[in-house]
Amino acid sequence: MKELDRAGSLEPSGVSARSFLLGVDVGGTFTDAVLLGAGRVFRAKLPTTADQSEGVIAAARLVLERAGVDAVSVEWFGHGMTTATNALLERKGARTAAVATAGFRDILEIGRQNRPRLYDLCPQRPSPLVERKMRLAANERVTPEGEVKPLLKEEMARVAAELKNLKPEAVAVCLLFSFLDPSHEQSLGSLLRKELPGVHISLSSQILPKFREYERFSTTAVDAYLTPVVSRCLKKLEWRSKKAGLPEPAIMQSNGGVLPLHEASGRAAPLLLSGPAAGVVGALFAGALSSVDNMIALDMGGTSTDVTLIGNGSANLTDEREIGSFPVALPIMDVHTIGAGGGSIARVDAGGALKAGPESAGARPGPACYGNGGTNATVTDANLCLGYLGGSLGGNGWVKLYPHLAAGAMKRLAAELEMGLEEAALGVRQVADAEMVKALRVISVERGHDPRQFVLAAFGGAGPMHAADLARELGISKVLVPASCGVLSAMGMVAGDRRRDWVMTVLNPQGWSGRTLREAFRKLEDISAAAGMSGASFVRQADLRYKGQSHELTVRVGQPYSRARLSAVFEKAHENAYGFSFKGEDVELVNVRLAAVVALGHLRGKAAASVWNKTAGRKQGAPEGQRPAFFDGEWLSTQIWRRERVGGRRIAGPAVIEEDEATTVVPPGWAAFFDKVENLWLEAV
Amino acid sequence: MIDQITLQVVSSAFRSICEEMGAALIRASFSTNIKERRDCSAALFDAKGELIAQAEHIPVHLGAMPDAVAAVIPEKPAAGDIFILNDPFRGGTHLPDITMVAPVEAGGRIIAYAANRAHHADVGGIQPGSMPAASVRLDEEGVVIPPTRLVAGGRLEEEILASLLRGMRRPRERRGDLEAQAGACRIAERRLQELIDSKTLSVVMAAMETAMDYSERRMRAAIAALPDGVYRTEDFLERDGADLKIAVTVTIEGEEILIDFKGTSPQEKGNLNCPMAVTRSACHFVLGAVTDPDIPPNAGALRPVHITAPAGSLVNALPPAAVAAGNVETSQRIADAVALALSKVLPLPAQGQGTMNNVTLGSEEGRTAFNYYETIGGGAGGCPETEGTSGIHVGMTNTLNTPVEALELTFPLRVERYELRLGSGGDGKHRGGDGLIRSLMMLAPARLSLLCDRRRRTRPARQKPGERKRGSRKSVDGAGGRGRGHDGNTGRRWIRSTRGVIELQPPKLVRNVKIDASGGPLNL
Repeated sequence: MKELDRAGSLEPSGVSARSFLLGVDVGGTFTDAVLLGAGRVFRAKLPTTADQSEGVIAAARLVLERAGVDAVSVEWFGHGMTTATNALLERKGARTAAVATAGFRDILEIGRQNRPRLYDLCPQRPSPLVERKMRLAANERVTPEGEVKPLLKEEMARVAAELKNLKPEAVAVCLLFSFLDPSHEQSLGSLLRKELPGVHISLSSQILPKFREYERFSTTAVDAYLTPVVSRCLKKLEWRSKKAGLPEPAIMQSNGGVLPLHEASGRAAPLLLSGPAAGVVGALFAGALSSVDNMIALDMGGTSTDVTLIGNGSANLTDEREIGSFPVALPIMDVHTIGAGGGSIARVDAGGALKAGPESAGARPGPACYGNGGTNATVTDANLCLGYLGGSLGGNGWVKLYPHLAAGAMKRLAAELEMGLEEAALGVRQVADAEMVKALRVISVERGHDPRQFVLAAFGGAGPMHAADLARELGISKVLVPASCGVLSAMGMVAGDRRRDWVMTVLNPQGWSGRTLREAFRKLEDISAAAGMSGASFVRQADLRYKGQSHELTVRVGQPYSRARLSAVFEKAHENAYGFSFKGEDVELVNVRLAAVVALGHLRGKAAASVWNKTAGRKQGAPEGQRPAFFDGEWLSTQIWRRERVGGRRIAGPAVIEEDEATTVVPPGWAAFFDKVENLWLEAV
Repeated sequence: MIDQITLQVVSSAFRSICEEMGAALIRASFSTNIKERRDCSAALFDAKGELIAQAEHIPVHLGAMPDAVAAVIPEKPAAGDIFILNDPFRGGTHLPDITMVAPVEAGGRIIAYAANRAHHADVGGIQPGSMPAASVRLDEEGVVIPPTRLVAGGRLEEEILASLLRGMRRPRERRGDLEAQAGACRIAERRLQELIDSKTLSVVMAAMETAMDYSERRMRAAIAALPDGVYRTEDFLERDGADLKIAVTVTIEGEEILIDFKGTSPQEKGNLNCPMAVTRSACHFVLGAVTDPDIPPNAGALRPVHITAPAGSLVNALPPAAVAAGNVETSQRIADAVALALSKVLPLPAQGQGTMNNVTLGSEEGRTAFNYYETIGGGAGGCPETEGTSGIHVGMTNTLNTPVEALELTFPLRVERYELRLGSGGDGKHRGGDGLIRSLMMLAPARLSLLCDRRRRTRPARQKPGERKRGSRKSVDGAGGRGRGHDGNTGRRWIRSTRGVIELQPPKLVRNVKIDASGGPLNL
């Protein structure tokens, strides 16, 4: 019922003159905005600000200004963020305490008792997010048979008092069997909210109401640790967007779905991979337009690079991921992230080896060439020294670049390495490339996928600058550089399918029928409609298993609803996945899942691409000019093109194609051309 | 000639196939020991039975599986067959570990074998859970299965299966797990066929060879980097009466290594005996850890390693020796001993808890019949640079724990406590990790069996005199206990022995079993 009440407060969509879709994605270095409407795409990129919401609104204003429309024209505002991931990886979350059932306060530390790497004689675990002195025990116990030890008022008061002394900013409440009976967690939660005002409380029964205590507690601890940080950010954003006259932002979740801000801000765990998920959605959109089903998405920004394998037009969702070695058992897009990007700082380590990253110069001071006081040589400085970048990012002057500062920083590094400037710059680039190749191999070669059967989809400000070299390294012969590649994550937010997911656990998994399915889906569909997903198409799924198993298989549910029919679908899926079916055994229905998908953005994005294609895209022109760039050990005279002036040509490398938010490098041996939907292709010749 | 990328794609694909085989088995299985604790392993072998690839599962399984395939090959397996076995003297290790081996056919001949091994919650015998503390003969430990064609030409031999199940407890669950093992073999076979379809048979075959040669080169280089010499040591397993000795001599000579167990105690009356496969497993585990853990583990990596042990000794036992604990406890000590010998020339950590703390609880009585098996982690030894980790599995196992919630949903018992045993790790420059406390309360009659070690000899090697870590101990509350070698202690019995069987009988059903796992000792 709560779902319905909350949804009721949502503004109905599509009744005003609001007809533009706005997407803003915040990365570690840059904040990107895309505005989609009137068959056009508008883009903006600005440095990420310390208070991220400031940059979000600034980017939104800029893109609105470029389109010449007001905030009131914005129908929908999607937002992707990296706040949660960064806070977790950098261990900059809230001071977190935990309350566990007495006798079990170390679950968060013991984990599953195994060592992460088999042949490691000195296995090390990261220190838990909640250290032992912050972990309290509550005298209470629930078992599968019900409560065996009540949680008394005095005990709750004692726990609350002890917690107060610990001065936490967040508390994770992790009691055994709360997924069966959440009452102890709920009463403790409400007392703590009263007694510790301003302290965020995460209940494991709310975050992940499923059995297996370690995975549930870990997800809950991650949520508690991050929510204060994330909700501070989102509150500011809410306030600023209201002030700017924008609609309530919808926040991208790790699974590619979206949630309205007021629902998202109380729970950080599902937002862990918000930004990277937006990138995947963007890549899926671009790939669909160009009819590419199998691709490896490479999203290289200033701070980090995300790589994702996309097979048969979809990315894998997994709930068995660890992030920063902490299990987060919520559905997450299977994105692999490494700490190397354009802003990665190059240095010589103790052993004399050249390293790039994971430290990043960020947007401020940024690479040395930004002229904001940065003195460290970065990957971007290397690209400038090699002639791949010109006098400004994207060649349009929005971030002016100072070649002499890049050269100065690179000379210092070169002196340390006792080598020439070009050699050092090339070295920095190659070291960063090697890191990215490693990441690309992890998701392809190491999982038995041949990268040569995939297209490399390169985006993010720096992706297209490195893509051809990376592709060559992996034997990939085709690179897709999507339209709006520099801001594709923001594009994904507005042009991708808008999805929301609902799950309902079936109370009696054995005694189900077609009617159980019909009623469950009807209820979920009502919730979806009330949440403003009108006009959505539905994907109906169910999690099933044989009695006695504890892992479920998720299968599509067709109509008419019937137990016999769904059981048959399950048996077939079981045979496919596990090599057998257990004939004649009972099939249990565990969960019913509904995904509501609104393809609105997708349609408009498609329309925009085709309109754009007919107008701006086909404008032919001449190269902007040329400059020397360093390829394969020599300086070659290289044509510099504006992306929108390439038109129907096939450009042979060496060439550099600049657009406002990104730069594409076409090395010798590669050719570049556009397809019908304004996506740029690089092809090995 | 295959290009580098193809070679790497195909060899990674071998490994992903093993991983998928393992994942399919875990997800489709029915018993807690497989679906929650993941006590299972998967590997691929070539037509000669040489290991091509394996997933990172359980060390004691992995090094021993080649023997299973070797035992199946003489039975002339054909496409569509799946063999089953657990006989420790014909390809197995101890009876609960049941192995399935499926040939893969391409181009009209067998080109590979897919194999997986899972520890079953029960395979019959004198004690529910089939990990008896007191067995003296193999047939007391459960059903002995020689290599047997369970699936013939794609058809399950129902009668054979039924006769196997008759000797085991909880036959429906057993059947489900066995079907899951066979299914996982089929998945591996399908994936290998798909790989052949996309890369051609000759490329796949060539990749098998090349991958082994590559691992051999890397292993030879890694051994060459170790200082030549002869390193001897001994270590002990506790036994009422005289302790059992593991004597090991490690000879490093250029690119090759010889590990010999001359001087080890003869095989014993109890069940600490190991078939040679287990001994090899323990040696390969240590070598994997001390050389380069990134060397792809396959038959090539094993070529420069030679392992010998006197026939009829504790580490190369002959039938009809009982072996239940050899796989879990003796294997730990063999690994400890080999590492200890090498620690004379390599900066290795101190020994860890050196036991798996095997707890088996079960009952055969009607409605509440159950079998529960668990191994309990302890402290890892202090490391050259860091403290030892607490509450973790060391050595020859890496199973997960049974989640408290999974356990209570399945078995008639309640977990009272599962916490770190603070201060139990050895003190020193780099402290050893702390052990664990796991207390269980029975809600139904049951028989408890414990197999563990390092209880009296709480000062393992490489510890300074005068500094002790706390050994592991087990206790059972209440009256009615019948344990071996425990001392009475006002209603609480500490079982001083490393093994014990205790009947927990009505009318007083509530019995509290507390297992304090030991901490790891310090590093010098």
